[in-house]
Amino acid sequence: MRIVQVVLGGLGLAAIAFGLWTLRAVDLSDLVEASLWLAGGVLAHDLLVTPVTLAAAWVAWRVLPRYARGPVAAGFVVLGSLTLMAIPVLGRFGAIPSDPSLLDRDYRAGWLVLAGLVAVGVLLGSVVMRRREVR
Amino acid sequence: MRLVPRETDFSGWLRSPRVAARVGVWLGVCFGVAFITGLISHVAYEPPGWLTFPTRPVSLYRITQGTHVVAGTMAVPLLLVKLWVVYPKLFAKVPWGDVRRLVVHGLERASIAALVAAAIFQLVTGLANSSQWYPWGSFSFRDMHYAVAWVAIGSLALHVAVKLRIARAALASDVNSGDPVGGVPDVEAPADSSHGLTRRGLLRTTWVAAGLAGLSTAGISVPWLRDVSIFGIRSGDGPQGVPINQTAVEARVTAAASKASYRLEIVNGATRRRLSRADLEAMPQRTEVLPIACVEGWSASAEWGGVRLRDLLAVVGAPSESVVAFVSLEEDGAFNTSELPAQFSDDPLTLIALRLNGADLSIDHGYPCRLIAPARPGVFQTKWLSRIEVVA
Repeated sequence: MRIVQVVLGGLGLAAIAFGLWTLRAVDLSDLVEASLWLAGGVLAHDLLVTPVTLAAAWVAWRVLPRYARGPVAAGFVVLGSLTLMAIPVLGRFGAIPSDPSLLDRDYRAGWLVLAGLVAVGVLLGSVVMRRREVR
Repeated sequence: MRLVPRETDFSGWLRSPRVAARVGVWLGVCFGVAFITGLISHVAYEPPGWLTFPTRPVSLYRITQGTHVVAGTMAVPLLLVKLWVVYPKLFAKVPWGDVRRLVVHGLERASIAALVAAAIFQLVTGLANSSQWYPWGSFSFRDMHYAVAWVAIGSLALHVAVKLRIARAALASDVNSGDPVGGVPDVEAPADSSHGLTRRGLLRTTWVAAGLAGLSTAGISVPWLRDVSIFGIRSGDGPQGVPINQTAVEARVTAAASKASYRLEIVNGATRRRLSRADLEAMPQRTEVLPIACVEGWSASAEWGGVRLRDLLAVVGAPSESVVAFVSLEEDGAFNTSELPAQFSDDPLTLIALRLNGADLSIDHGYPCRLIAPARPGVFQTKWLSRIEVVA
């Protein structure tokens, strides 16, 4: 296992070095901007996405009956991650007025359908859990 | 009250190396697939001298780029869950007193920071680019997405190397076990869900989320999934049944492309020919079914009619296997010219298309004529051709 670790680690370092080397001709201002985006992603996740999730979980744990905790948490994982993923299309930020074939779906309606399905799943899950608890 | 929590403040059975390792495996698979398909796309864009990009299957780029975007999309829920599981590590105690351990700790934190930053960057820039949204100011998406891909895959390999012992032990043991793995403490987890989400429940939920993320997007390249791909950037429809990436209005070619005096110039050294659209229509016509497949991951198959490029090159006496440059009527823009490698210019399926799905090309599809070649990224299928020149 030691050998595998050393080889894998070495290859990893080489890949990182190669990636940085491909940027040797890129303007400093572009590198600075990309670095801000790199750091910004981590900060947005660590200081916003996770704390909000933790706060929601804290509230849910206290407010929800025990049988609903699992289903609600599962529903949150599905709907939350897919909503973050869909931000670019939900916001239609890339839309071009002269090109109706780009972003040509009703994404908000799609999101509502997904949210509805998740809600039904959470309800059904909670009902099943409650029955088990009663029994 | 402390503002910054300690690692030990986080409780519960879900934040376990047994969960992290299991999610990590699939996250690694998604990043690996995205990395390899991304390299293929990179080679298709900038072929190195030592490599000849194949022309078959005709759907090659359609498949690899569709896979690239779907793998990256599926990684979103996986990455979010993985980071949530290991979040307390961010507040792990720093061994300030012991220099040796401090250095090791610092290096590990640096490698994790590189991995997390690169992973989030790749998914954010990739998803944005896929929807043709460029929220960053000036850096080149291609340069950065390519460089950071190497950093992401490299720091992932480094991470796997460092965690290999723990990950193997975690994967080999029962998911609900509370035994320490590779020296990392764990807590016994309940197997039944009466107290909330179980480890198995979280893992299953994560697989469902990743699967739904894939389904909600895959229709951009898999036609029979179109109806369920609620977040697909294109439904796959458009004028003449094919989506458009750049319109004539955007490219500012409407006037030049509609002129009756339009001529396509074909150049081979000193030999030049100028052909009108009627001249092109008078040549032997071919019909081929070829996909148009773009870097954003969407693709659509269509029936193209027109003149074989080989036949056209013969008009100016170009030898077979010529490298050919294509110039658009579009005056500026990153992709108003393209260079077609020899194997594509010689391919019998490569057409100068005049018709699409049984009708004359619409102006947004490249009227008077456009290039369509098998297994090529869409941006190189130059529209509104003004000149075709043999360059080597």
